[in-house]
Amino acid sequence: MGGFWIVKRDICATVFSQRETVERHFLLTVRVPAHFGNALPGQFVMVRLKGGAAPFLSRPFSIYSVSSRGNDTCLEIFYQVVGEGTDIFSKLAEGDLLSIRGPLGKGFDIPPACKTVVLVAGGIGVAPLSFLAQRCREEMGDVELICYLGAGTAESLAGLERLEKICTAVKISTDDGSRGYRGLVTGLFEKDMDRYAGDTVRIYSCGPRAMLKSLQWLLKDNPAVCQVSLEERMACGFGACLGCAVRIRSNGGGFVRVCTEGPIFDIRDVEFSG
Amino acid sequence: MKVQTGVDIGGLTLKNPVMTSSGTFGYGEEYADYLDINRLGAIVVKGLSLKPKEGNPPPRIMETASGMLNAVGLQNVGVEAFIEKKLPYLRTIDPAVVVNIFGNSVEEYGRIAEILNDANGVDALEVNISCPNVKEGGVAFGSDPLLAGEVTRAVKSASRLPVIVKLTPNVTDITEIARSVEIAGADAVSLINTLTGMSIDIEKRIPHLKNITGGLSGPAIKPVALRMVWETVKAVSIPVIGVGGIMSASDALEFLIAGARAIQIGTAHFIDPSAAAHVVDGIEEYLSEHGLEDIRDLIGTLRT
Repeated sequence: MGGFWIVKRDICATVFSQRETVERHFLLTVRVPAHFGNALPGQFVMVRLKGGAAPFLSRPFSIYSVSSRGNDTCLEIFYQVVGEGTDIFSKLAEGDLLSIRGPLGKGFDIPPACKTVVLVAGGIGVAPLSFLAQRCREEMGDVELICYLGAGTAESLAGLERLEKICTAVKISTDDGSRGYRGLVTGLFEKDMDRYAGDTVRIYSCGPRAMLKSLQWLLKDNPAVCQVSLEERMACGFGACLGCAVRIRSNGGGFVRVCTEGPIFDIRDVEFSG
Repeated sequence: MKVQTGVDIGGLTLKNPVMTSSGTFGYGEEYADYLDINRLGAIVVKGLSLKPKEGNPPPRIMETASGMLNAVGLQNVGVEAFIEKKLPYLRTIDPAVVVNIFGNSVEEYGRIAEILNDANGVDALEVNISCPNVKEGGVAFGSDPLLAGEVTRAVKSASRLPVIVKLTPNVTDITEIARSVEIAGADAVSLINTLTGMSIDIEKRIPHLKNITGGLSGPAIKPVALRMVWETVKAVSIPVIGVGGIMSASDALEFLIAGARAIQIGTAHFIDPSAAAHVVDGIEEYLSEHGLEDIRDLIGTLRT
């Protein structure tokens, strides 16, 4: 059994701060043990209130960032209130205790030879992509980072401020045209798409299912590698409950677990319709 | 005080009464990094069928008040791949290995039991006649006393191992099914499997689960499970294993006092992967604090 299993036990983390950045989108910062510093962009954590009865199941969240602040390691989670669980989390304040499991799942694959990183983010799907952009900027110096960021309105553009500091360019779309391109982020991406085709280009995306499905269709004749981060309801986060199934096309098809075989997948391997 | 926690379940000897419940503990290896697995009395693996099964389309789970609904649909690697790929790990650990099985027909149950006779490292079978989420392997066998008996007889005559039959609560009288499988030769019964339930998204007016209905588990079902275990203990003379919403040692102790010879922990593992180890500790502490040297002095001591 060895002694390593201890690091995988659920840890107790203290809320450092929480604030609402744009409407119904919260940035939660928690103090975590130092081993969280090894987290990879694309990995996620399972979170629940320490000792709390509700929500009953932990909720999965992509990691938004991990950083050192003095002697502490801080984990950031950026989420949107979408249901009872996230509504309860939105009331967390400094000093509250959480039970956290992770980092879990596989991270994005970033080839060192990559020269252009293209991010296509829909709504709160920005969270894992922002962490990826940050890591690329830290480790790959002058890599070209282009982000396509979509939201409903100018007021609901989540994560913009940070991306503008990291990225070479941030291209914005809003459903109502109140800022940037009017329409879906995939429509904005489509206009530039032919630029992104070489071996040194990587595309990464996260957002609503319909958006990822439409991106998959757009890329059908484009050879660029594209990885997506998928979301699915899950109970355990480490492969036991089989709740988070997604149908893939490779290996003869069938279901795999978002938590363990993912949450990062090649966009061409995902069967979005089933 | 050193306490004796060993129990005997119809020929299956456990060092303590804490088992994991099928479908919540994978094939054991998923948990290897999350708890000291050797603390457990037994591991019951994910239900196995003759051929691999891909399960139901998502969404498969939904949280509900104090519990969750699932309609995983018995996704599993199949009995052959289990023996080849999953059993080698289970042979290296200390807990007893109980293999949960289900089939499309009475004959298929017998066939799987036969295949497992040759598999080194399996200590008992648990026969699933109670999954609410699939047509086969499921509740059709478990809700009819005659069919439940037939499946039990087929497995018993094919197997060299102790046979536990897992019962569904989705019946009028669970004790009638329990008596039927006892007469058919079951060595023990485990109960309850999940209660059939559903949940609706009122904005989209669609079910939260693709399968529409699913099995309810978690603390929400514990009082129902406890009542059914208590009734069944009085109705049969084979050992009863208590299952349903156990989150802590005190929950487990309720079942033991009601007469369960052992207990299974399921959904609690998703909340805390080391839940079963905590329950083992808590039971030992309770026995010690109450001056009980042997767990058998506690089982079935409910005062009414």
